[in-house]
Amino acid sequence: MTAAVARPTRFGRLRGGFSTLGSGIGAVVAKELRGRMRGRRAFAIVTVYLVLLSVFTWGIYEFQRQINAWRFAPGAFDPSFGGSLVPLSATVGQAIFSGLLVLETLLILVLAPALTSGAISLEREKQTLDLLVTTPLSRLALVVGKLVSALTYVVLLILASIPLSAIVFTFGGVGPEDIARAYLFLFAVAFGTGSIALFWSALLKRTQAATVITYLTVLGLTLGATVVYVFWFAMAQQASPGLFDDRTLTTRRPPEAVMWFNPFIGDLDLICGTSIAGIDPTCEMVNVVTGRSSPFATEPVPVGIEAAGDCPPNARCLPADGGAIGAPVKPGVDPFELLRDTFWPRSAIAFTSLGLILTLLSSRLVTPAVRRYRRFRR
Amino acid sequence: MSTVIRADGLTKRYNGTLAVAGVDLLVDEGEIHGLVGPNGAGKTTLLKMLATLLPPTAGDAEVAGASVRREPDSVRHVIGYMPDSFGVYDDMKVWEYLDFFGRCYGLPAARRRRMIGDLLELVDLADKREAYVQSLSRGMQQRLCLAHTLVHDPSVLLLDEPASGLDPRARVELRELLRELRTLGKTILISSHILPELEELCTSVAIIDRGQLLASGRMDEIEARLRAGAVLRARIVGQEPERAAASAFFIAQPDVASVDTLPDGTLELAFTGDEAAGAGLLARAIRAGHRIATFSRAASDLEELFLQVTAVEPAPVPSPRPERPGPPAGWGAGVR
Repeated sequence: MTAAVARPTRFGRLRGGFSTLGSGIGAVVAKELRGRMRGRRAFAIVTVYLVLLSVFTWGIYEFQRQINAWRFAPGAFDPSFGGSLVPLSATVGQAIFSGLLVLETLLILVLAPALTSGAISLEREKQTLDLLVTTPLSRLALVVGKLVSALTYVVLLILASIPLSAIVFTFGGVGPEDIARAYLFLFAVAFGTGSIALFWSALLKRTQAATVITYLTVLGLTLGATVVYVFWFAMAQQASPGLFDDRTLTTRRPPEAVMWFNPFIGDLDLICGTSIAGIDPTCEMVNVVTGRSSPFATEPVPVGIEAAGDCPPNARCLPADGGAIGAPVKPGVDPFELLRDTFWPRSAIAFTSLGLILTLLSSRLVTPAVRRYRRFRR
Repeated sequence: MSTVIRADGLTKRYNGTLAVAGVDLLVDEGEIHGLVGPNGAGKTTLLKMLATLLPPTAGDAEVAGASVRREPDSVRHVIGYMPDSFGVYDDMKVWEYLDFFGRCYGLPAARRRRMIGDLLELVDLADKREAYVQSLSRGMQQRLCLAHTLVHDPSVLLLDEPASGLDPRARVELRELLRELRTLGKTILISSHILPELEELCTSVAIIDRGQLLASGRMDEIEARLRAGAVLRARIVGQEPERAAASAFFIAQPDVASVDTLPDGTLELAFTGDEAAGAGLLARAIRAGHRIATFSRAASDLEELFLQVTAVEPAPVPSPRPERPGPPAGWGAGVR
């Protein structure tokens, strides 16, 4: 009896390829996590991290309480804070949310490179890469497995902070959707930052060099980009016919993309999203970057607002669709709606895209030590 | 017997330096094939090309019918490769190490469990199953690394200096292990610059120097080929006058190029004839009245083979970059 040999279809081959990739990633993740989560170290770090985070949260709570006590003390009421519009306890919730968000962003920027920058270079240094490369394990599976296992630990730390973040619900001012947005953004930042470290680790021979260059890259993307932005912005102002002429600024201003890899701007946007009617200094900063409005705007208050007093100076009194400055607000647009998602989604997409590109590039760079070394010597 | 490894003009050039210069190599199924050569001869580069770690600059090689150039993935499924220097992962237990490589080959969990038990028995590490890899002795780590090459039951093993850095006892154990693997049907290509190590183990050898293959084949074939240029030793009964007479007799014979007297009085003849000519020479010497206590061919071991083969200066090729920093080639350096 002859059995017909069934040739695998294109779909079958694709499925087989994905299954091989999946099992390869699983192998690397299992190996990495076994090493990383072994013993007391990993859990000690989580504990210390949560204790520090709790102390920090309590600090914010006390700080905000003091401010509120001072702000709402008899005779010290200052309506310019916008405090009258916001329930008192909500300010505490928002402050805790803001503090935790910024702290966790900082944590990711520090921790993700530290966990990933040795991913490939350590394999070279320990002379284990040759053993791996001669197995059918694909190079993509190796780098993705390394990245996933490093990020799993970062994600574990982020997820461990959820109960702390949930404290904000007892104060109000921040909705579950704000928390969800924040975590989504943090995951994207972790992926992007981790892949930067992975890339340098695959390219360079030494882990030390990879770590230093990764931190320099992260510093460049955050602080460096901000310096470039501020400089560019100042140049645009210089070039404008009137010092604060917004029309020139809208055409010559630095592109928002310069700040996409500065996760703190995304944080500001997320914090701004919790404020009512965008009356918050964070919204101002985000607006400067996105060009929705300038803090130096001297344009007349858009048509549609009854009285100038209704729209505080520098607040967003523009159409929600981001129309031209000074354009009349369309009838029916609520000027007090929440100002949300004006910047961070693009930043998150940028981080994710960077992560995907660098991960693919890294998989191309995984070569045995000898070959890389010689190529570098050339 | 089918050919399992076939290299065809395999060449590797680094920055204009030839590390491996057009090597043609045939290794039959079930052989333990020794790759002999001094440090920097190109052994490691050759093995790395066969293991798909380095792409050849020219030429090609087939391992179990799959081309290292065109089908590296197929090659990886049939080979087990052990590099000359390798590291171990920290924070990893012995069984986890093998389990990890089993996963890399996509073995299902049940097969991995069985394989780990079998392999640890084979390399005599069963009692170290739960030990951390970094806590093992060098010899144990070598054996574990050898076990890792076997997780997917490959038909070909490429072992680069597997016994380097081992104490004599561990070497003997490793040798026994490799013999056992041969009985299991594995074809083994093993490199070393320590000749006695290979001599007791290999069924065939390839001598490589400066990236070129100088001789290759079964041990006995190579010996036969070299027999035409052997060294004969004759011990003469008697004192100095008898020895001088015998020496004068031998130097006058055809096929004897030169005669030296060793410190212990033994005569050493550089003989160019074959075995039959050697027997004729002995008969004539006895007929001439020389009293000969022993008359033998100097033991043609691998070391001598190597010295003879490498004594012929190969075609000039640029000196390859040393494979790794190390002491100058000990026994190889004396030849040139």
